[in-house]
Amino acid sequence: MRRLLLCLLVAGVGTVGFARGAAAYPQFQFSSGTNKCSQCHFSPAGTGLISSWGRSESGDTISMAGDGGFLHGAVTLPSWLALGADIRFAGVRNDDGGQAAPQSAWFPMQADLYSRFAFSDAFSLYLEGGVRGETRPSSGFANTGIGNINYDFSTVADRFITREHYLMWRPSATGPYARVGRFFAPYGLRFVEHVYFVRRFTGYNLYEETYTASGGYVGDDWELHLSAFTPPPSSFPDPLQSVGSRESGGAAYYEKRFIGESPVVGAVAVQARIGVASEEARYQGGVIGKAWVEPAKLLFLGEADLIRQQVTAASFGQDQFVSYSGLSWFPIRGLMASLAYERFQENMSVSTTGRNAYDLQINVFPYAHCEAVLLGRLMTVGQASQPASNLLMLQLHYYL
Amino acid sequence: MHNPPPMLPGPRLVLLAAAVAALLGCGSATDDRPAKWSFISASITEPSCATVNCHSAVAQKSGVDLHDRATGWTSLTKYGFTTLADPNDPTSAPVLYLMRARGSIRMPPDVPLPEADINLIQTWINAGANND
Repeated sequence: MRRLLLCLLVAGVGTVGFARGAAAYPQFQFSSGTNKCSQCHFSPAGTGLISSWGRSESGDTISMAGDGGFLHGAVTLPSWLALGADIRFAGVRNDDGGQAAPQSAWFPMQADLYSRFAFSDAFSLYLEGGVRGETRPSSGFANTGIGNINYDFSTVADRFITREHYLMWRPSATGPYARVGRFFAPYGLRFVEHVYFVRRFTGYNLYEETYTASGGYVGDDWELHLSAFTPPPSSFPDPLQSVGSRESGGAAYYEKRFIGESPVVGAVAVQARIGVASEEARYQGGVIGKAWVEPAKLLFLGEADLIRQQVTAASFGQDQFVSYSGLSWFPIRGLMASLAYERFQENMSVSTTGRNAYDLQINVFPYAHCEAVLLGRLMTVGQASQPASNLLMLQLHYYL
Repeated sequence: MHNPPPMLPGPRLVLLAAAVAALLGCGSATDDRPAKWSFISASITEPSCATVNCHSAVAQKSGVDLHDRATGWTSLTKYGFTTLADPNDPTSAPVLYLMRARGSIRMPPDVPLPEADINLIQTWINAGANND
């Protein structure tokens, strides 16, 4: 009961808050005994609101204790309705390696509400809405003589945004599906951590969701997603706008899973994406590897992408590389410890445009609906003589 | 008759990915990228600075909007970010001080820019900071 009250207190603090991109925990694929993302999420490619299966998993296999059901199982919703929420409160300490002292801040990070309405066994409507985040207030640039120019929006209403809303046809858990609306075209490992290079530099950073038409097939041991996307029209109001390079294009993702009696299971995936904007285009493709070693409770996740960026306005093209290699350990139920190495090479012909990140992340799920995340991130940039930066972040997360 | 599941190519894939990553980290120290705002905007400032909570169109921190070429150029030049404080010092533009964290927090604070990128921006500024 005390832990439940603590969770609700965290939720209460967080509701004044700000949004953060909702994605998924690809670390739970295989490690929780669930082979595909869509088993726990309503979305056929994972991410977003979790299904009744996902709720059971969150209580029975992911958290140390508790009931993963809506409102901790106190209320049973009708089968045509699913509701949920994500609330996060975070504290960060960022040392940028410069002359300034490290900066610290506590801030509400995410407040998102989700709903799904099923009209029949096949058709459903998914709506998400939340409040856009804001880590730091404007502090001006007095030290450089520019003065304090503050254009910041300050009200919650100004920061309202709906990143995902779509209609979906999906007659069964496995088989074909189609959906249209606003969401990310399936691509990549789809981490919840938007700071990871494989999200940030591939067109999947925070609030870069596009208007997308997507279709595909989800089988027991493979899945295919094909998508066409375009940014929100500039005439759309702010809550429907996105950020990023405003590309239109298409994406493809194919995953083959290797499951069976073996103590090692996993998947490999290939992917491609083309995004064309008014003054530049990106052509990218990559591979993904996932391997779960049951006896050691270890999960490997890896992604590597090559990107050809053609800046038509400058008549110049460059090749980029971005990767993630991570190892997650699940020593006991409710605890996940991850080590990861990330690489982003902004221009493969210029060696000093590289970035490296080394991540240590501890996720604790003490009670269903509650999570604490500790992230340590060391980043080196460019030449060896450039100072390293580091980030320490603590998140408290409650999901309804 | 039970068919054994296909063998997972995970370890081989990991080794291959590591080898590819190591190779792709290589490159020349020579920088032949164009010091033009159209290139800098699309490949450096938009992906690194125009994130949702910072200099995107919806946030416009400190009045700076770097989400596209035209708006970004106006934001930087209008408020003097590209104006040299000391005409004899090519590194004295405020935006360069911010990116190099000289007397200020670093911009961008979350993923610092490589010095090669800052040098490219410096070259562009010293060539007149045109919307080219």
